[in-house]
Amino acid sequence: MGHGHGDKGRPSKKHKSSAKEEQRITMVDDEDAYLGNEADDDFRDGEEGKKRDFSKLELKPDHANRPLWACADGRIFLETFSPLYKQAYDFLIAIAEPVCRPESMHEYNLTPHSLYAAVSVGLETETIIAVLNKLSKTKLPKEMIDFIHGSTANYGKVKLVLKKNRYFVESPFPEVLKRLLKDEIISKSRIISEGSNGNDGFTVSKALGETGNGHGDLLNEAELVAAAEEKETHSFEIDPSQVENVKQRCLPNALNYPMLEEYDFRNDTVNPDLDMELKPQAQPRPYQEKSLSKMFGNGRARSGIIVLPCGAGKSLVGVSAASRIRKSCLCLATNAVSVDQWAFQFKLWSTIRDEQICRFTSDSKERFRGSAGVVVTTYNMVAFGGKRSEESEKIIEEIRNREWGLLLMDEVHVVPAHMFRKVISITKSHCKLGLTATLVREDERITDLNFLIGPKLYEANWLDLVKGGFIANVQCAEVWCPMTKEFFAEYLKKENSKKKQALYVMNPNKFRACEFLIRFHEQQRGDKIIVFADNLFALTEYAMKLRKPMIYGATSHVERTKILEAFKTSRDVNTIFLSKVGDNSIDIPEANVIIQISSHAGSRRQEAQRLGRILRAKGKLQDRMAGGKEEYNAFFYSLVSTDTQEMYYSTKRQQFLIDQGYSFKVITSLPPPDSGADLSYHRLEDQLALLSKVLSAGDDAVGLEQLEEDADDIALHKARRSMGSMSAMSGANGMVYMEYSTGRKLAGQGQLKSKPKDPAKRHYLFKRRYG
Amino acid sequence: MPQVKIIAKNFMDMVASLPAMKLDKLYANAFICEAILRSLPPLAKKYVLQMLFIEGPVSATSMQEWVLADGVSKHQVAIDRLIQLRLFTETADRKRETTYRLNPVLQANLQKLLTCGEVLPREPMPPNVTARLPSLEDLEAFALEKWECFLLQLINSSQAEKPTNISSSMMKIFQRGLLSQREKEAPRLTESGFQFLLMDTNAQLWYIIREYISNSEERGVDPADLISFLLELSFHVTGEAYNMNTLTDVQSNTIKDLSDLGLVKLQQGRKESWFIPTKLATNLSVSLADSSSRKQGFVVVETNFRMYAYSTSKLHCEILRLFSRIEYQLPNLIVGAITKESLYTAFENGITAEQIISFIQQNAHPRVAERIPSVPENVTDQIRLWESDLNRIEMTPAHHYDEFPSKEVFEAACDFAREWNGLLWEDSKKKRLVVKAEIHMHMRDFLRGQK
Repeated sequence: MGHGHGDKGRPSKKHKSSAKEEQRITMVDDEDAYLGNEADDDFRDGEEGKKRDFSKLELKPDHANRPLWACADGRIFLETFSPLYKQAYDFLIAIAEPVCRPESMHEYNLTPHSLYAAVSVGLETETIIAVLNKLSKTKLPKEMIDFIHGSTANYGKVKLVLKKNRYFVESPFPEVLKRLLKDEIISKSRIISEGSNGNDGFTVSKALGETGNGHGDLLNEAELVAAAEEKETHSFEIDPSQVENVKQRCLPNALNYPMLEEYDFRNDTVNPDLDMELKPQAQPRPYQEKSLSKMFGNGRARSGIIVLPCGAGKSLVGVSAASRIRKSCLCLATNAVSVDQWAFQFKLWSTIRDEQICRFTSDSKERFRGSAGVVVTTYNMVAFGGKRSEESEKIIEEIRNREWGLLLMDEVHVVPAHMFRKVISITKSHCKLGLTATLVREDERITDLNFLIGPKLYEANWLDLVKGGFIANVQCAEVWCPMTKEFFAEYLKKENSKKKQALYVMNPNKFRACEFLIRFHEQQRGDKIIVFADNLFALTEYAMKLRKPMIYGATSHVERTKILEAFKTSRDVNTIFLSKVGDNSIDIPEANVIIQISSHAGSRRQEAQRLGRILRAKGKLQDRMAGGKEEYNAFFYSLVSTDTQEMYYSTKRQQFLIDQGYSFKVITSLPPPDSGADLSYHRLEDQLALLSKVLSAGDDAVGLEQLEEDADDIALHKARRSMGSMSAMSGANGMVYMEYSTGRKLAGQGQLKSKPKDPAKRHYLFKRRYG
Repeated sequence: MPQVKIIAKNFMDMVASLPAMKLDKLYANAFICEAILRSLPPLAKKYVLQMLFIEGPVSATSMQEWVLADGVSKHQVAIDRLIQLRLFTETADRKRETTYRLNPVLQANLQKLLTCGEVLPREPMPPNVTARLPSLEDLEAFALEKWECFLLQLINSSQAEKPTNISSSMMKIFQRGLLSQREKEAPRLTESGFQFLLMDTNAQLWYIIREYISNSEERGVDPADLISFLLELSFHVTGEAYNMNTLTDVQSNTIKDLSDLGLVKLQQGRKESWFIPTKLATNLSVSLADSSSRKQGFVVVETNFRMYAYSTSKLHCEILRLFSRIEYQLPNLIVGAITKESLYTAFENGITAEQIISFIQQNAHPRVAERIPSVPENVTDQIRLWESDLNRIEMTPAHHYDEFPSKEVFEAACDFAREWNGLLWEDSKKKRLVVKAEIHMHMRDFLRGQK
């Protein structure tokens, strides 16, 4: 898979001027549309019952009091009604990947990566096994114990620590360091310092034991004592210029001792401190606190990813992390609008002064004053490879040369790996924190994220946050709109194969359902509504017909801001139409209704991101809490034309949310049969006029031409191109996390589709990687 | 082959359906009389007792005076039931007035029972002969295991670990109506078969016992004898041992079959052998409505269509497999998913969405049972929608006619088909029409006549 994206991710040649840097969103984010569903089918349908018959496991006599079952293949089932649920949840989220988390029973998977993450937050192999065994209703299967041993044998044993601008390779196990030093590259990079002690020439020091892990109550006292004990660590110094090579050698494909990066920021006297702290009114919520404690668990800052649902206050976590480290911070966002929002968040939550923070986008090129500060910019601005204006060249030079205390990366799931590589190779940072709502990259790039940024440090449970009133309780609904006879007849015709999408999106019944919902929510409830459409033709048609403002890729930054402002403040603007640009990080806290009229194939992530637009909780906390006044305060409608491809995609798309415990209610008759005469396209001749408009629009109008200037082009382009191959587009399938092997397995298939024939045309980063 | 309509009937319904002669013969047995009396609705019970010592007939009008106005319907039900069981005989007296009289054989037996007290069908064996009898818990576990094993074999012969000794011909009898057997295909559960599995144990037992009885004649056993033996058995004490040598040949053959169903446990001593009735046997004469043995639910269905069944039973697993995909089997948990595919298979086998929904609702785990709804709404909605999605197309066998010689003939044919209510589609431009298959012959004759 990695091959293919090389060329797609490359900026297209048509945009050369630096003023348009912003538009070149090279984030190919539909990787999930290409994800092999076969692998999933293997998993879910595979020889049923044969390998998964674990009924012979021995039940412990007091099994009723224990909360979980563990299977030999790594699957774990957790009862949420167990009195030990909270402890068990915190523990499992640290060691395993959640598969689905509905109300009564959660499922998790133990994977090498999840165990890597566990080890990196300070859990040890024996602790993992002991606690798991305590919680398990059955004796732990031997296979699982072996698996944990096998997966954790190497992980987390070696740390890369930047102390006083000297890089140290650190480990509590001297024998591991010795093994590393047998490697030529590593031993060459070593700097033998004079003050070293210990018989191997390693520097021996004491590190603080892990604190506040919260598993203490599950361990008996003896184990607790062991955990709290200070540990001796051994270390040797390496040449700063060789850091990248040493890291490479330690990756799983070489020595397989992946390094954890930790930043001892308190002892960093070289980099100037940034004078900022959280304002007193910035009170992190319990789960924000927890995610920060995972990051700063041992007094140092760990690199890694924190997963919180949209609207749960990711920015506060980011700002808190920056205020704790109190060094220069580089904050990367996906687009200019969210750059503005991040800058605003920094000023909102922290005491940072205006001159200490600056935005760097194609429209605004500010620079901070003083020795330390915060820069907010986009991935593209940093990774852009073409010619820049003189001014931005200067700024980028500054970014390159500075040693950043924290590299804060927003929406890490949308950014392709090569972009990360580039950003990370350009910027020097002590600690990287990735933030995301949906860690569903289903290709092997989840691995990349693991090693480029760090392991997943924390992932919140959506349903628990809903119950706590921290995010909105959303009523999700799938509205089934039957195709009208005439549209369906055209839909089935072969010569219209390129117009299929336009036909099912423009289905008059769908339009009427959409109009009905807008009226209902605007007039009856006074809600603020966002309508999402991926198909630009439809977006324009709908918005024009209903006389509502719309934003798409080509809408200028100024106009976007104006429309969003009007939506926020004006009582007359209650509905806006958004193309895919609105999926991520445009913060529209006022909206509480989403109507989705067209979407990108089977992308689960898009669905979750869109839902995220309305997750920010509104109203009083006590009303929102479980049992409060308002059962639902936000609504998410997905409109699908029945009997078309859309139905198929729709099921796929919902999988992620369903796994988080959301349920989609199916609504079959909208508008209600007795009403709707006053809605558009009530009469047959209007419908037929619309049909002929769609048919005469030409394949270009409903597809490519218009999108040339649109920031979303890549995704749409692809969706269109792969039409006809259901399996290729199927995307989101049930599997959420176990994807690394599937990506590889399908690489062959993917290559056929997208790999450039001529290796010279391959993106240079991938050339380097795959040689 | 008689198509068995499964309704949760009790033993008495079956008794009631016996021919008059057989019924009268049954009432010669005192235990049957007692069992019958027990099974009656309260008002009917009262009438029998009220008339127990009245030797002559009582007129219907005077009986009607026994009840208040709002009890008329109950009165009617009671009378109907009594007549149905031939406990009452209905006659018209000289004034052409309907009168009722209690069945004299039954009357005598019940009178004797009242005056002389209850006699046990047979004496339990002394404990010194039967050294170690199973405890009541063991016995119940035995019964359930046997029954489950039998059911498993019934629905899927290959799944049973310990096949019972029930002859395959007997098994086939039980299976008819529950499984459909097509040639060269594994037998599949029919709609009533699935309904059968959804019933509680007592109701299932009734069904099997009824099949067993209705088939008895083919085995050379008098159904009335069998019924009276089974009812007699229900008057034995659970957990006590009874000597086999007190049984007739027919009865001892029967008891072997019953032990395979878990109704009795057979044990062999040094010299003698005995049977120990289980709860299943002693519950036989209890009418269904009384059986408060509501099983505890075990299924949790989540909004993501995943299903967790707290059960160790292989049978449960097989039942769930009928409409879901089983993914994990753990010592006390079965994990599955309700998918479109699994449901389509179920629908194909004639299982309906409502049956599935009511199964998961009735068996909801106590943890979710109080929740309203106990099964997430989106799941039940989706199950129904998938079913109705399948029913959008209705198949009608039909015949297509074209190449009509003239417009007149075509129109006449259309009119003819309309008269027969069989015109499905017409295209007057191209002179084509489609008619239902059942009027094809008439249509052909009609067209021949046109020539």
